[in-house]
Amino acid sequence: MRRTVLKSLLATAVLAATAGLPAVQAADKEIVIGGSIPMSGVFAFAGIGIHAGIQDYVKMVNDAGGIEGHKLRYVPEDSAYKVDQSVAAFKKITSQNKVNFYYGDSTAFSKTINPELDRAGTMIMSGASFATELNDPKKYPYQFIAGPDYTQQFGILLRYIAKEKPGAKVAFVYSDTEFGRDPIESSRGVAKEMGLNVAIEIMTPPGAVDVSTEIAKLRRARPDFTIFHGYILGPIPEFIGQARQLGLDTKFMGTFWTMDNSTVMQMGDVAEGFMGVMPYNYYYDTATPAPMLDKIRAMRPEYQNVPYIQGFLSAMLYAESARRTIAAGKEMTAANFKAALNSIENFDTGGLIGVPITIHGNTIPVGRIYRADTKAKRMVPASDWIVLE
Amino acid sequence: MDFDWLFLAEIVLAGLGAGGLYALTGLAFVMIYKATRVVNLAIGEMLMIGAYLCFGLATAMNMPMWLAILVAVIGSGVAGATLERVAIRPMLGESPISVFMVTVGLASILVGVVELIWTSEPRRLPEFMPSAPVMIGEAFVPPKVFYGFLVAAVLIGVALAVFRFWRGGVALRATASDQQAAYSMGINVPKVFSLSWTVAAMIAAIAGVIVGAVGGISSTMGVFGLSVLVVVIVGGLDSVLGALVAGLFIGVVESLAGGFLGGEFKLLATFMILIVVLLVRPYGLFGTHEIERL
Repeated sequence: MRRTVLKSLLATAVLAATAGLPAVQAADKEIVIGGSIPMSGVFAFAGIGIHAGIQDYVKMVNDAGGIEGHKLRYVPEDSAYKVDQSVAAFKKITSQNKVNFYYGDSTAFSKTINPELDRAGTMIMSGASFATELNDPKKYPYQFIAGPDYTQQFGILLRYIAKEKPGAKVAFVYSDTEFGRDPIESSRGVAKEMGLNVAIEIMTPPGAVDVSTEIAKLRRARPDFTIFHGYILGPIPEFIGQARQLGLDTKFMGTFWTMDNSTVMQMGDVAEGFMGVMPYNYYYDTATPAPMLDKIRAMRPEYQNVPYIQGFLSAMLYAESARRTIAAGKEMTAANFKAALNSIENFDTGGLIGVPITIHGNTIPVGRIYRADTKAKRMVPASDWIVLE
Repeated sequence: MDFDWLFLAEIVLAGLGAGGLYALTGLAFVMIYKATRVVNLAIGEMLMIGAYLCFGLATAMNMPMWLAILVAVIGSGVAGATLERVAIRPMLGESPISVFMVTVGLASILVGVVELIWTSEPRRLPEFMPSAPVMIGEAFVPPKVFYGFLVAAVLIGVALAVFRFWRGGVALRATASDQQAAYSMGINVPKVFSLSWTVAAMIAAIAGVIVGAVGGISSTMGVFGLSVLVVVIVGGLDSVLGALVAGLFIGVVESLAGGFLGGEFKLLATFMILIVVLLVRPYGLFGTHEIERL
C-alpha cells in the first residue's frame, strides 16, 4: 500500500515536472496584458466594449502568429469601476503573471497605482482615463493615454471654433467632479490664445436633474458655442432642449465619453447638429480606407461603440511597443516599452485614427469634429483631422 | 447695474419646480415612516425602478407612454407591497438600525436589478410632455419642470385628501399615532403597513417618471433620494406638511445658490440648512417632538 502511494506520488511529481517544462517555455514567449476592466457597475457600458476591443486585437495578433514569436495573453478582472477593487485586481493579476502591459479603468486608479508601476518597472499602462494630469511623462513615466487628454480635446474643439467663427463667445458647462473640472482652467488660457471669449463657465452638481437655473445663466451669456464636459448623457439633452425652446442660437459640443454614436442618438431630436471631438473613426466609417475597421466589421457585424475602438487601439499600441522592443533586442522593461512607444512616428493604425500618429509624450493629440445627423442616426465628420503640436 | 429681477424670478420658479418633485418624493418617504417607522433609504432606488419600468414598457414592449406610465405605477405598487411583505415585515420588532440596514441593502439590490436588465448605460425616457415653452409673465419656465410641478401638486392634493377622508387613509393615520390603539379598534395594522409601502412605491414611481423625463434615467439616479432625505429630515420625518414645505424650500434655496453663487454651492446650501435645522429643531420643522420620560 505504502509503495503504491509512493509510486503514485512520484508519478505525479514527474508529470508535474515534465508538464511544467513546456509551460515555462511558453510563459517566456508570451506578452501579458493585464486589465482592471469595469465589466459591471456604472461604467460597464464602456468596460464591456473595452474588453471586447482588447480581446479581439489579441486574437487577431495571435491568429497571425503573434509578435516576434511571442503570443499575446490577455488577463482581465472585473473592477466594477471601484478603485479598491481595481487595485485588488491589479495585485492579483500581477502576482500571478509576468505582466507587461496593463489597462486601468479610471483616473483615480491610474493615480493610485502609479508608484506601484514605478517600483515594478516591468510594465506600462494606459486606460479609460483621458485626464490631463496623466499627460506628464515625468510624473507618470510608465503611463500613456490612447488619445488626446481632456485639455487637448478642448483644444481641438476650440481650434475648430476659432476657424469657424473667429472671436466667438464660448461657454463651458461642466460637472462638479474631478472628471468635469479637469480641462476647464487650462482651456481658459487656450481659448484666450485663440482669440475666443469664454463668456461663461457653468458648473453643475453631480447627479443634477433640473438645469433650469443653468439655462437662465446661459440665456444671458448668449454664447455662440457651448462645450459640455464631465457628463455621459444627462443633463445634456435637457440643456439643449430648453435652450432650443428659448430660441438660443448656440451650437452644443461634447467630449469623448458623450460622443459614442448610441449615446448621442439617445438624445432624440435635440441631438440634431450636436457636435463633439472624437479621436477615432467610428465603427461604420467607410469614407477613407481603413483595413483594421474592415477586420473589426468582419469579426463583429453589429455596431461596436467607441470604448471598443479605444480598447482595440490600446492593445495595438501595447503590441507595437512590444514589437519594437523585441526587434531592437532590448529587455522587456517598462522603460524600454515606453521608449519604444515614444519612438512611434507617423504610425498607421489601419484607419482607427484617420491620420498617421506620433506619440511624443503621454498622449496622441489628434481628433476630428463630428456632427450628429439624426436622420441617418450617425455621427458624420464636420472637420478634417486636427493634430495639435 | 440694475438688478436682474427676471433672472431672480426664473430661478425661483425653477426652484419651485424642483421643489415640487422633492416634496412628492418626500411624501412617499413620510408615508412609509409615518405608518411603519421605517427610515427607507431605498426611496431613490424605488423611484428609479418606477422610471425604468416605464422605460422598459414604452420601448421594449412599445406601449403608448400613458399606458406605460399607468402600468409602471401599478407594477411599482405591487413591487412595493412585495418588498414590504418579504423584506420589511419579517423585521417587525427588530431594532430600527437593522431595518434601516435592510433598506440600504434593498437599494443596492434594486440598482443591481436595473443594471442586470437594462445595463448601466444612461438612457432617455421617450418624450411625452408638451414641448412648447411656458412663459409666466416674462419668465421662462421649462415645460417639463412646469408640468412636472403641476402633476406633483395634483398628486400631493389627492394624497392629502385621501389621508383626510378615505377609510384606508384614516386607518394609516390612526396606526401612525398609536399602533396598539389602532389594533384594539379593529384596524388591520399589517394591511396598513402593506398599503403604505404600496402607495409610497406608486408615488415614487410617478416622481421617477417625471425626474427621468427631465434628467434622463440611469442606475445612479437614486442619488436624487439623498436630497429627498435632507428634505424629510428638515421637514420632520413624520410630517406630510413638513415634506411639502421643506421640499419647496430646499428646491428654491438650491436654485438660488446655484444661480447666484454657482453650481458647487447647491449641495453646500442644502446641507448647511440640514445642519442648522438639526441643531435648532432636531425633530424637524414640523416633526413630532417626542418626549421620552426616564
